[in-house]
Amino acid sequence: MTRSTTRRTLLAGAAAAAASPFAARAQGGPDLKGTTVVFASWGGAYQDAEKVSYCEPFEKATGAKVVQDGPMNPAKFRAMIASGTPDWDVADVTGGFLEVGIKDGLFEKIDTKLITTSRIDPRFVSEYGVGCIVWSSNLGFSTTAFPNGAPKTWADLFDLKKFPGKRTLQDSPTASLEVALLADGVAADKLYPLDVDRAFKKLDVIKEHTVFWSTNSQSQQLFVDREVTAGVILNGRVYDAAQKGAKIALSWEQNIQQVDYLVVPRGSRNRDAAMRLIDTMTLAENQAKLANLIAYSPTNNEAFKSIDPKLEPWLCTAPENTKRGLVLDQAYWRDNLKKLTERWTAWKLA
Amino acid sequence: MRPIDRRIWLLLPATLLLTVAFLGPVGWLLARAFTFPQPGFQNFELLWQRPVYLRVMGNTLLISAIVTPIVVLLGFPVAHMMAHGSARLRRWLVFLVLVPFWTSLLVRSFATAILLQRHGVINSFLIGFGFIDEPLPLLYNLTGLLAGCVQVLLPFVIFPLYSAMARIDPALMKAAATLGAPPLRAFVRVYLPLTLPGVMTGATLVFISTLGYYIIPALLGGARQQMVAQLIQDQIATFGNWGVAGALSLVLLLATGVLLALLQLTVGLKEIAR
Repeated sequence: MTRSTTRRTLLAGAAAAAASPFAARAQGGPDLKGTTVVFASWGGAYQDAEKVSYCEPFEKATGAKVVQDGPMNPAKFRAMIASGTPDWDVADVTGGFLEVGIKDGLFEKIDTKLITTSRIDPRFVSEYGVGCIVWSSNLGFSTTAFPNGAPKTWADLFDLKKFPGKRTLQDSPTASLEVALLADGVAADKLYPLDVDRAFKKLDVIKEHTVFWSTNSQSQQLFVDREVTAGVILNGRVYDAAQKGAKIALSWEQNIQQVDYLVVPRGSRNRDAAMRLIDTMTLAENQAKLANLIAYSPTNNEAFKSIDPKLEPWLCTAPENTKRGLVLDQAYWRDNLKKLTERWTAWKLA
Repeated sequence: MRPIDRRIWLLLPATLLLTVAFLGPVGWLLARAFTFPQPGFQNFELLWQRPVYLRVMGNTLLISAIVTPIVVLLGFPVAHMMAHGSARLRRWLVFLVLVPFWTSLLVRSFATAILLQRHGVINSFLIGFGFIDEPLPLLYNLTGLLAGCVQVLLPFVIFPLYSAMARIDPALMKAAATLGAPPLRAFVRVYLPLTLPGVMTGATLVFISTLGYYIIPALLGGARQQMVAQLIQDQIATFGNWGVAGALSLVLLLATGVLLALLQLTVGLKEIAR
């Protein structure tokens, strides 16, 4: 989506990658000729960016071929593992699915001999997956609705007097309950385990004024159409809408971060090559390339050296933004999602 | 013994396709209701213990029951004009009904949202001409959901109705008039009963289609318009729980079956098939 504005930085990044002898050594040389690695992700502009930023540098360095597949789908992933021989060698999964999959034994263990995990912020490295991008749930608001000062904190989202207008929340308890508790004054480090009763009680305050979004494009459209004045929306979506001219801005206070991981499905026929593709992803220049293409936040902090400075304020792992945020506890959600989704549905119907 | 009509083999490709691509997977899913994660009735017990599942199921049936008569009432005059208007008018109507039919469901749902939203076409018009001061809440509630379902489902009623009406001999209405029936009486006693097969086919199609709607309630409905397809999707995609998904599907299938059976007892499926 930012292709035209960042072509120059992209080319500079590519040149740097090609010139770096270190990058080539980290890959182990072009010894994978004849190997084909299947890479599965979420399609669209994101997978296109991953192809250019992770897969093509990997092909260049190792001689392997990467085939793009997808879209990633948890049910399909499970069916593949159950059949014994997965079609995919590397898959891009959400942090939620990473935790569930670890419990159900769906992934190969990350091989630290093949992947230099130390390049990545330790918060985003798991025994079974390596974080590739980070995104966050932010307080988004209309820049025209509040001439006397914009909302900043989650508490402001629930203040219908000071900040009148309709609200929007994602149609899911994940992150929504955290938002409610933070708004109610719970400290970020005391969030888990969530005080669910308290969260739903707080959500009652705005329930009748809330439109629930279930697709990301819907969350943008609600602001573009002036249907809502404030709500929970992902950072990348605010950036995208603002680039297209929408009157929308975001606050970084108490942003709630989630991570996408690259994993190797259990039983992959190209396990070692798959691990090395993940290693290519961990390199700063490749992460910077992806961020410059699609404005998703890197997990390797070194990447910011080559990221367009105009982009940095929009990225949740930028130093200024990450210190205001917290990372969603996916292990908590793994154990409670089912129960809380039922309760969420019941709460909406009540 | 009469030799078997050899044309029956022509049914083979369709039968095979249906078995492999439809009956197989559906049967497999429904069987999982009793076998996943272990054999037994635990999935049905769960549905029974958590009232939210049954409420959503009831909600789904209720929404379908509201959508169906609206679609039939709106579709009836259109089909009537199609069947009894000029050939030119018929061509236009068929075209106008089919164009949205060929358009993506997602596109049409977003278009409906643009019409109905707070600052949308309808509210801007009403406020601009001073009919109202505050925008009407037309979207993200039952109104929005109904508008979305009805516009998508109209062709499913219009075409069966049209085919029923086109077969009605116009001489019958003339005969009724000759025998002294005023127009309204002739319509109610002669014309309407003859359209019933079309009405029933259309209504059944609409009712069953609405039961499975997933995108429209998510995009146009509100918090209280949760429908069962959404729950089934959650169970499979988020939780990998084929058992509960199968149980939900089976209960929905049974509920639909019971309703169709009631329909047969009251109106008669033979009428529909005719």
